[in-house]
Amino acid sequence: MLRRLAFLCLLGLAALLSAGGAAAGETQGPIELRHARVTTTIDGVVQTEAVDLSYHWDRRHRGRTGFASFELPFRVETLPEVPWGVFIPRAGSVFEVQLNGALLQSYGDLGQGNRADYAKAPVYVPVPGRLLKEGENLLQIRIRADSERRAGLSRVTIGPATPVRTALFEGAYAWRFTGSVLLTAFSLIVGSIALALWFTQVDTGATGRRQRDALYFWAAVAEFCWALRVADAMIPEPPLPWQLWGVLMAGCYAGWAASAMMFCYHLADWAQSPRTRWVRWPTAAVVVGTVVFTWLALNREEPRWLTAWLAVEITIVLGFVAAFAVATVRRPSVERLLVAGAALVTVAFGTRDWLVIRLSDAYGETTWVRYSSVMFGVALLLIVLRRFHFASVQARGWVKTLADRVAQRERELASTYAELEEVARDQARTHERERILRDMHDGVGSHISSAIRQLQSGQTSPEELLRTLRDSLDQLKLSIDSIHLPPGDIGALLAALRYRLEPRLAAADIAFEWGVDELPPVTQLDAHATRQLQFLLFEAISNVLQHAHASALRIEADARDGAVRLRVIDNGVGFDATEVPEALSKRAAAIGARLAIESRPGRTVVQLVFD
Amino acid sequence: MPRRWGVLVVEDDSRARAFFEASVQRSPRLFWLGSAGTVQEARSWLAATATIPDVLLVDLGMPDGTGLDVIRDAVARFPGCEPLVVSVFGDEENVLASIEAGAVGYIHKDAAPEDIAQTIVEMKAGASPISPMIARRVLAKYRSLQAAVPGTAGAAPAETALDETDRGLLSAREHEVLTLIARGFSYAEIARLKGLSVHTVQTHIKNLYGKLAVHSKSEAVFEATRLGLLSHPG
Repeated sequence: MLRRLAFLCLLGLAALLSAGGAAAGETQGPIELRHARVTTTIDGVVQTEAVDLSYHWDRRHRGRTGFASFELPFRVETLPEVPWGVFIPRAGSVFEVQLNGALLQSYGDLGQGNRADYAKAPVYVPVPGRLLKEGENLLQIRIRADSERRAGLSRVTIGPATPVRTALFEGAYAWRFTGSVLLTAFSLIVGSIALALWFTQVDTGATGRRQRDALYFWAAVAEFCWALRVADAMIPEPPLPWQLWGVLMAGCYAGWAASAMMFCYHLADWAQSPRTRWVRWPTAAVVVGTVVFTWLALNREEPRWLTAWLAVEITIVLGFVAAFAVATVRRPSVERLLVAGAALVTVAFGTRDWLVIRLSDAYGETTWVRYSSVMFGVALLLIVLRRFHFASVQARGWVKTLADRVAQRERELASTYAELEEVARDQARTHERERILRDMHDGVGSHISSAIRQLQSGQTSPEELLRTLRDSLDQLKLSIDSIHLPPGDIGALLAALRYRLEPRLAAADIAFEWGVDELPPVTQLDAHATRQLQFLLFEAISNVLQHAHASALRIEADARDGAVRLRVIDNGVGFDATEVPEALSKRAAAIGARLAIESRPGRTVVQLVFD
Repeated sequence: MPRRWGVLVVEDDSRARAFFEASVQRSPRLFWLGSAGTVQEARSWLAATATIPDVLLVDLGMPDGTGLDVIRDAVARFPGCEPLVVSVFGDEENVLASIEAGAVGYIHKDAAPEDIAQTIVEMKAGASPISPMIARRVLAKYRSLQAAVPGTAGAAPAETALDETDRGLLSAREHEVLTLIARGFSYAEIARLKGLSVHTVQTHIKNLYGKLAVHSKSEAVFEATRLGLLSHPG
């Protein structure tokens, strides 16, 4: 059917061309040579027959090897003034072209089988003008056909280089050869990207084991297999004998198909479940079966075995793709939909290729799968792009979450800090209250209660009562001064004490002497101890006022060798220095001061030393 | 015959008022102008009086407000009027606040009657009492102001004395006197140590009171001065 249709088309074309030639009458157009006389030699048996081209060797001779010589007569009306050439879309495996008995060009060595294969790309052979004759000419093409290599001869066109070379040959060459270069380059790029991703994208999963994504690995294997398979179209003389090279190429094709299936297998998460893990084995069978059957077909020269196996293979792949499509429909995602679409198209193309290449007599056709394979590469690139986009979105989300958490922590810290500060303030207030209460108890309170006792006893003199009340008021003033007294600043303490008590000393006619040097702060005295020292000194001076009958009182303070020394000296009657007043000794011990008292009539010294 | 000073007393406690009146009446150098028991009363008196009061004795804790308002009012009306704060404790906060409002000193409520008259007369003669605690506070304030003006922080006090007077801060001599007072020395001892007269020492203190009042009255002007200093250090 297809052949008949093509024939009708060509008939129309020929009619058109001859009509054009007749009308113009100047130059002859291209001549398509559709009929030939072929002489075949298979295992020494020679046969001659007339055939219509194309001539598909494997179909006619069931994959046997042999030789054929095609004679293609044509007629030239007038010798052309422009250069001519022969365009042969497909001929192989190796062949030579002769015109009127002269060799124009040879492609490969006719003496050697299963090596070179020039059927992969179309050829154009220029025709030297002197070889053409007016009237009948004869184009002769001799081929050596290898088994299973799509040997044979397509229709041949001879005519002026324009349009034979420029239109027919260059268009076909671009499709077959340049297309292969681009496809190979694309597959290599995608494969390299996938391999780089497989190497670099290492996940440390929940188990702590470093894991690479098998998806990338299989994508890389698929693309590399495919690159090699497509590159074959650019290698007319492969480095291996055809039996091995053919197996390798078929293996690459099967390897590509199997790797693409493994890619789907991981994309569908079939590796996660033991129920679906068996799906790997049919994919392995695809590779093994293809290698085995190709080997058998090539070595036994039995193309039908491979054709049959390819049918089985297509069935396996079809089943797999159908399962993947169902899985995709059940749990759709953009990634799976993309790949499922590519897989379905590829399976359809593969089936078409099988029908056309393996079953039909069509010669000169190329596979379609080589184009649909690009869709896998594109799908993989889209998947990677989507993953990286998702990863960056996720990373941004994490950064934001982290920032939120840090802010939250900061707020918590701030509130905790505020609470702690509040507690500290409460504590400070409590301490302050305790200090004031203690002050009132020890100072004013005790003086007022003793004033009350004095009044109640009825035996006290107004002078004594006045002194008690003055003591009370002085204590209160000292207490207020002590609020602002820097802890440990004995100089400030003494200055305030003098300011408060000097009027009373003056009133008692006691001369006051001041011998206070500049003093370093005494670090061992805190606020409470400073206040205790104030009490202690008040007590000492009070004793002089009440009991000593002194006429002079001197306060001395100096700092020597890191020790601060305080002395209260009077010239009164003195007292028994062995009986130190308890109020003094207790307080001195409490604030860590060494107390020393010496007393004799006329000189009493109360000394405190802070080491 | 030296001049006699007219005294107005602002005090809500009637017994204290009577005590002050007795003290004033007893002194040949003073005469009694009157007394007020509330802030309102005192301000009305100041608004209506024909006699300028030379001395104002003010208790800070009044039933209808603070005596500080009376001090400000009196100083604003009569620049020659010198207010004294009546204080039980002579504590730093109240005294400093009064000085900044315009008071030139303070007297203790528990002082003997003759001492009160004495303090007033001495004050009119140029004396001003200051306790070591208040001196220390003034010094601390001075130090913090110095720290706020980095350009002058390292300068020797003697060299910048003149400038500092203009600025309303302490002169070197005032600083010296204040330091000694803070360390507990009496005016007489300071005069002896520094080779000054007691009167000079007292004058320094009184000047200082004036500066503190000026400082608080025109905080904004002071700030402007300080900012001016910042742009012309040294």
